[in-house]
Amino acid sequence: MRKYMAIAGISIKNALVYRANVTGRAIFYFIFIFVFFSLWSVIYSGNEIAGYNLTQMIWYVCMTELVMFCSGSGIFGRMNQEVKSGSIAYQLLRPWNYIFKQFAGTLGEITFSASIFTLMAIIMGLVFVGPLAGFDPVAIPFIIVSFMLSITMNFFFLMSIGLLAFYFEENTPFFFIYNKLLFVFGMLIPIEFLPLWAQGILRYLPFSLITWAPAKMVVKFSFEHALAVIPLQAGWCVLAVLLALFVFSRGVRKVNVHGG
Amino acid sequence: MFMEVKKHIKLIGKYFIFNLAAITEYRTSFIVQVFGMALNNASFAFFWWVLFDKVGAGIGGYDFRDVMFLWAVASTGFGLAHVFFANANRISGMIITGELDTYLLQPKNPLINSISARMSATSWGDVLYGIILMALIKASIGMWLMFGIGIFTAALLITSITVVGQSLTFYFGNMEAVGRSLREFTITFSIYPESIFKGPLKVLIMTAIPIGFITHVPLRLAHEFSWGIFFLLLGVAAAYCLFAFVIYMNGLKKYESGNLIITRM
Repeated sequence: MRKYMAIAGISIKNALVYRANVTGRAIFYFIFIFVFFSLWSVIYSGNEIAGYNLTQMIWYVCMTELVMFCSGSGIFGRMNQEVKSGSIAYQLLRPWNYIFKQFAGTLGEITFSASIFTLMAIIMGLVFVGPLAGFDPVAIPFIIVSFMLSITMNFFFLMSIGLLAFYFEENTPFFFIYNKLLFVFGMLIPIEFLPLWAQGILRYLPFSLITWAPAKMVVKFSFEHALAVIPLQAGWCVLAVLLALFVFSRGVRKVNVHGG
Repeated sequence: MFMEVKKHIKLIGKYFIFNLAAITEYRTSFIVQVFGMALNNASFAFFWWVLFDKVGAGIGGYDFRDVMFLWAVASTGFGLAHVFFANANRISGMIITGELDTYLLQPKNPLINSISARMSATSWGDVLYGIILMALIKASIGMWLMFGIGIFTAALLITSITVVGQSLTFYFGNMEAVGRSLREFTITFSIYPESIFKGPLKVLIMTAIPIGFITHVPLRLAHEFSWGIFFLLLGVAAAYCLFAFVIYMNGLKKYESGNLIITRM
């Protein structure tokens, strides 16, 4: 465990050194929220849609985007590149579990992004639509746990998709499809916008649990919702880690090393 | 002048043939990438369909078909830009690494030569998606006509805006992140109804960064054709190409060569 903590510490230092990388993403985060603010402002005229008012909807988008921007999405590209280039072979000799080392190595980026984008999300929410009416600070510990589970789950799913490079020559379409499932089943709109039968299914699927579950906890907190989604998120999180370990352990057998 | 233009169009054509042969060498991979990208874009159509269904009325004066038209022109225009000029996104990187040296030694204009040298495989998915979308929304003849013209002006504008953003590196050091953000800005603002943007932002996307001319003006023309606006569209596309060319060529005078040795295969 201590070695993974040391790797995470180095990763945090790296993230602080390469701060400029975050600038571009921060600009894009701003653009995204701004466009959605403009769009929803035209759609809403003092009414509620699917149980959400304009203020809740803008905070909702700020929160779902927060998960997406903090999940270390670079992990897919990194896995993809390491497998395809063969550089993964060098990592296999090292005294650590490859999967957990990657997670520890991305923790710095995740922590740094989380601090920057949480601040941005709060500022943008306040500037665009003002504070959330009825927000109860009691919700904060639940929100933090839910976000941590979402980000971890998303990270390991992205990692598994990146590791599919062991099996497929071109795995980018899997990444596209996964991302878009997140987009339409919770990120761009709450699942309450979808038909009731679809909501019944989506409440249990990881795509909505990654985006909708924590964002709804911020904008419409209830103990009922928190206690329903957090165990599901934890369960999917364990499954995501097991999936990454499985894809890696089976895939790594396909590696052929032909000298240095 | 005319002969120079003709020679460079020929060069773009040659690059197109070579690049296409290169990316279709791994046929399965190419097909998977194309359909993956088309499917990727389709998720947004789902989003808009749900939204219009829930709102039950037009959004900012647009109906579902109008928004899909914006998407079709933006997607195919973006696709064409990256089928022919995918390397425009790498100008900044080429300046920083000194990779531009290779193009400076060749007897062709370095801008045209360098940006045409690469083709993006996934962009064929974007090209295809726009055409499929137009068929699915049962577009009117006016929409098809404006789509046919709009995709070319869109491709030229997207490429020119990218060249301008990326060329800032000549003047201000590494501006890769700014160039990338400008591209994202261009795409994002061209796929939402024009009416949601107001004030200075609207002025910006209709003047200095003419994003409004990528999709919004072709849609206006499809609904209500006017020769004046049509020629304005062509004029803006041509003028911005010229502007990008001037920005790049002036910037090139500031370029400092590196000693990077690379192999172009």
